[in-house]
Amino acid sequence: MFNKAVSFELLWDFAVTETIDESQRWILSTMQRHGQELVTMLWRILGNEQDVCDAYQNTFLQLAHYKGGQRPEYIRAYIFRVANNVAISMLRRRISEQKRVSAAVVPRKDVSSPANELDSKYLQETLRCCIARLPEHLRNVITLRELAELSYGQIARILGISAATARVYRYKAVQLLAVWMSKEKVERQ
Amino acid sequence: MKSITTNNRCGQIRAWLHKAISRRFGPDADWFQNHISNCPRCQRRIVSVGRVNLALSALKSQPHKLDLLMRANTQAIGVLKHSLREAPKAEELRTTLPEPKMLERWGKYRCSAANLAACVAILFLMKIGIFSSMSEFQTQGQKVIRQYYASRVGGDLADEIFPERPGETNVR
Repeated sequence: MFNKAVSFELLWDFAVTETIDESQRWILSTMQRHGQELVTMLWRILGNEQDVCDAYQNTFLQLAHYKGGQRPEYIRAYIFRVANNVAISMLRRRISEQKRVSAAVVPRKDVSSPANELDSKYLQETLRCCIARLPEHLRNVITLRELAELSYGQIARILGISAATARVYRYKAVQLLAVWMSKEKVERQ
Repeated sequence: MKSITTNNRCGQIRAWLHKAISRRFGPDADWFQNHISNCPRCQRRIVSVGRVNLALSALKSQPHKLDLLMRANTQAIGVLKHSLREAPKAEELRTTLPEPKMLERWGKYRCSAANLAACVAILFLMKIGIFSSMSEFQTQGQKVIRQYYASRVGGDLADEIFPERPGETNVR
């Protein structure tokens, strides 16, 4: 009797696992469909391959555990927003770490040089720092538009705003970035 | 026909307006260029926005290693459930390399496709034109014969021979 109960239990477990697995196959399909776009966006935000892999893994882990394994209604929006948030948190952590280390090792004035102005790496890092400082609504639009290269219509659907609002946010974000990048330059000089 | 002419005129007016406005108020306008060359504040603004655009372009043009997608997929699949990890699609994803987008792949055929589409459109319009002319010719011919019958043998008999179709007016 006991053996029979155990075997039924095993059979039930197996059946349940199979059902869950079948219902979670969409994760792999999502990875196949949007993986390339996500990796490109994460690479542009983070600029470090190991960080990209970590952020990508984190995104899909969150997707797999969304409401106990349920499929989000609009997957693309979900993964782009999650990836964006994960990447920005990683970027902020990295920036604060770098600041701490550079403050301890190198005096601030020594870092700047006229050659830095033309150095694209310096420009990229400054831009990344400024993007990480942007308010969330502006940051989401600028990363999705400029770094993920999505259309305004797609951005509007992902963020739940109108395309016109997305355009305005993008404009504001660029203005703010321009001001901050100029200040950064002046401070370094 | 009239609407097509009106649309053409509207298009011409729009194009003319756009040209006139951009000549007067666009970035290439003389007064704008003069102002920029004399206003340090505007110069600073343009330079700073240009710097942002330059930095964005630099970010976009930075390439990553070809196997980054493969490695990211492998790492992400590694934390999923065992059964998902063992799925054939997972194996496929572990070896996926980035592919150019559909638009980029077929971009080189854009001109040929546009030419072909134009040819098809012309053929289609010609065909429509020929058929509509033929049908008009047939209708007119029938009308003439009907009128002939009506004048010779009377309207009733002509109506019997050529019954009126809905939408057709009887010309007597």
